[in-house]
Amino acid sequence: MSKVIYLAIKDLKVLFSDKSNIFFVFGFPAIFALFFGTIFSGIGEEPSGMKVALVNLDKSDFSNSYISKLDSYDALEIVPVDHNQAIDGVRTGKFSAAVILKDGFGGDFETMFTGDNSAVEMALDPGRKMEGQYLQGLLARAMFEAMAKRFTDRDWMRKQVEDWRNEVADANDLDAADAKLFLGFFDAFHTLLKDVNDENFRMEFSGDMMSFATTDVSREQKGPVSSFQITFPQAIIWGILGCSVTFAISIVQERIKGTFERLRVGPIGRAHILGGKGLACFITCVCVVCFLFIGAKLIFKMPLRSLPLFVLAAACVILCFVGLMMFVCSLGRTEQSAAGAGWALFMIMAMLGGGMVPLLFMPSWLRPFSNISPVKWSIFALEGGIWRNLTFIEMLRPLAVLLTIGTAAFIFGVVMLTRQDK
Amino acid sequence: MTGAVSLQSNSDTECIFVFVEEAVVIKVENLKKRYGKTVALDGVSFEVGKAETFGLLGPNGAGKTTAIKLLCGLLKADGGTVTLDGRTDPTLIEVRMSLGMVPQTLAIYEELSARENLYFFGRMYGLKGRYLDKRVKNCLEIAGLGERSREKVSKYSGGMKRRLNMVCSLLHEPPLLLLDEPTVGVDPQSRNLIFETMETMKKQGRTIIYTTHYMEEAQRLCDRVAILDHGKIMDIDTVENLITKHGGPSHIEAVMEEKITEPEKFQKFIDGENIRFEETTVKFRTPKPMEALAGLNNSGMRFNSLKVQTANLEDVFLNLTGRRLRD
Repeated sequence: MSKVIYLAIKDLKVLFSDKSNIFFVFGFPAIFALFFGTIFSGIGEEPSGMKVALVNLDKSDFSNSYISKLDSYDALEIVPVDHNQAIDGVRTGKFSAAVILKDGFGGDFETMFTGDNSAVEMALDPGRKMEGQYLQGLLARAMFEAMAKRFTDRDWMRKQVEDWRNEVADANDLDAADAKLFLGFFDAFHTLLKDVNDENFRMEFSGDMMSFATTDVSREQKGPVSSFQITFPQAIIWGILGCSVTFAISIVQERIKGTFERLRVGPIGRAHILGGKGLACFITCVCVVCFLFIGAKLIFKMPLRSLPLFVLAAACVILCFVGLMMFVCSLGRTEQSAAGAGWALFMIMAMLGGGMVPLLFMPSWLRPFSNISPVKWSIFALEGGIWRNLTFIEMLRPLAVLLTIGTAAFIFGVVMLTRQDK
Repeated sequence: MTGAVSLQSNSDTECIFVFVEEAVVIKVENLKKRYGKTVALDGVSFEVGKAETFGLLGPNGAGKTTAIKLLCGLLKADGGTVTLDGRTDPTLIEVRMSLGMVPQTLAIYEELSARENLYFFGRMYGLKGRYLDKRVKNCLEIAGLGERSREKVSKYSGGMKRRLNMVCSLLHEPPLLLLDEPTVGVDPQSRNLIFETMETMKKQGRTIIYTTHYMEEAQRLCDRVAILDHGKIMDIDTVENLITKHGGPSHIEAVMEEKITEPEKFQKFIDGENIRFEETTVKFRTPKPMEALAGLNNSGMRFNSLKVQTANLEDVFLNLTGRRLRD
């Protein structure tokens, strides 16, 4: 066992004798966490300053009211332009989207309720679909708020009720009994609008059309409370991927340089040599996780749900990637081929597993493929300890998947190396 | 095979002298190894006695490195056997403890210092404490690296790296040393240091297998040499015997003080063949250069200069394979 420890110490000395290795092992994942943590810090909040071109062909009071509502949102920067400028602006990337209010947009009540698509047109940059979805939500919200404001206009309401009553009275295809029922309702409504005092009218009609009850759920918080809770597991994964590739390359280097053969001629088995590499990789990964964890706690005040579960998850993730390290080193006979194959493999794993962007932002058809990536299970396990608040039983599944992948990769790698050496 | 005369007694009154072979430490029988379609070793057999320095001489690609790797168990043979000190499995811990291999490549960690390298490899052989300190110090002295032992190896010259590469294999004082072209690409000073170290090892009674494609190294260091080409051993013997058997005649060129006017008269003093006269010069080949020189001396003519080119291992290789060592 002491020989394995000496081998690991030697590998750590060799690794840290090169300052660029220190950067790639510790600096890069920290930068990743900082960069993406800052980008994703807007999660759960409104994005600000989305520049939207607005073409108002309607020019009605309602459309003006609607535009002033949109203009009041911090998330949007409304720029009134003509139709051609709007389309060109979106095409050239000057605007995120263009909203065109067609003639007749504020013309009748039905348009407002149905949100007639033909009256509102939206031109979107195809590369900014997420922003487009968000904009649609804001347009709908502005519509409800503009309508709520109109309902506070008692004269407009009375005129609208009169128009509806006349339409029902003139309708020839309506059953007489039904017509009588509707006419009675509109007469009563008209009387109410005429007789009710201003205070009561405001109480009944000027409230929010759609109000949301807010409850303090901080104790039951299920999602992440800090964007760094999302980017922290990703940073850990990148750090571990870096270590894994670095050590895989170091095994290939030793085989090329002959130190691996010199060790094999000595009174130690192949298992000792590879065990030493694995131990050094494990220790380095632990250092990376500790470094990132301390940084996340001290600098970003990142909350942690369960330290024991996080430690357990981190240990299993590291073991998995130590196994994959052994597999990667068997993929190439030169440093370049091992590095290329290793990064290609890990990039695919990271892309599929949510190591680059959270799975939340992936197309739904792609998400099932993430199950084959150990990165997905790694992030899930780490999140289990960080913010998902999983129980130990719930953690068993991702941990078992990780250990299975790691063990299989390690065995496969050792078998491949043994074959290559013959 | 080296031997010794030994006094043995089979009764209280009778003593006899018998020739006994020294103990065979390495025995290789019909060793075969292929890499795909390429035959690296094709039925190689030899024996090496205790304290003998045995050379494997051949050009690049002859199979020398493959032979060394098979000897220390790094490769598995396709056929044949290797016996090291009576054991047929070179991967046994006891066998490996008795082996020191100096690989052809620089199998050292350039990111570490010479001292760190030596301590690391020493620990791999189970050395520790004061003994390890002593061995590291001793090896640094042998390699001439004492003053720069704490510098990173990457800052060393090629020769210094080669010397360190060698002493890393001497740390555990192995009785059996396998050296695979240890002087490739080194300066003359480092080469001499390596030679001197080998000679010291030889005096200490270690058994050495030395592969090289430099005939002068084999001539200087080896008791016996195997000529290896295309995976086959062409012959094994002492350097002198190989030269006598396969080296061919020596070439003699004598420049006389006066012009040779009567070659026919002069020729009867020459014991040689292919005799050519050019003004004051006579050139000929002879298997007995000393006798030929004595004959020339008897001719009564005075020499201006004399050049004798005796056969060497290069000639042996050329005559055995039809190729030069560095072809």
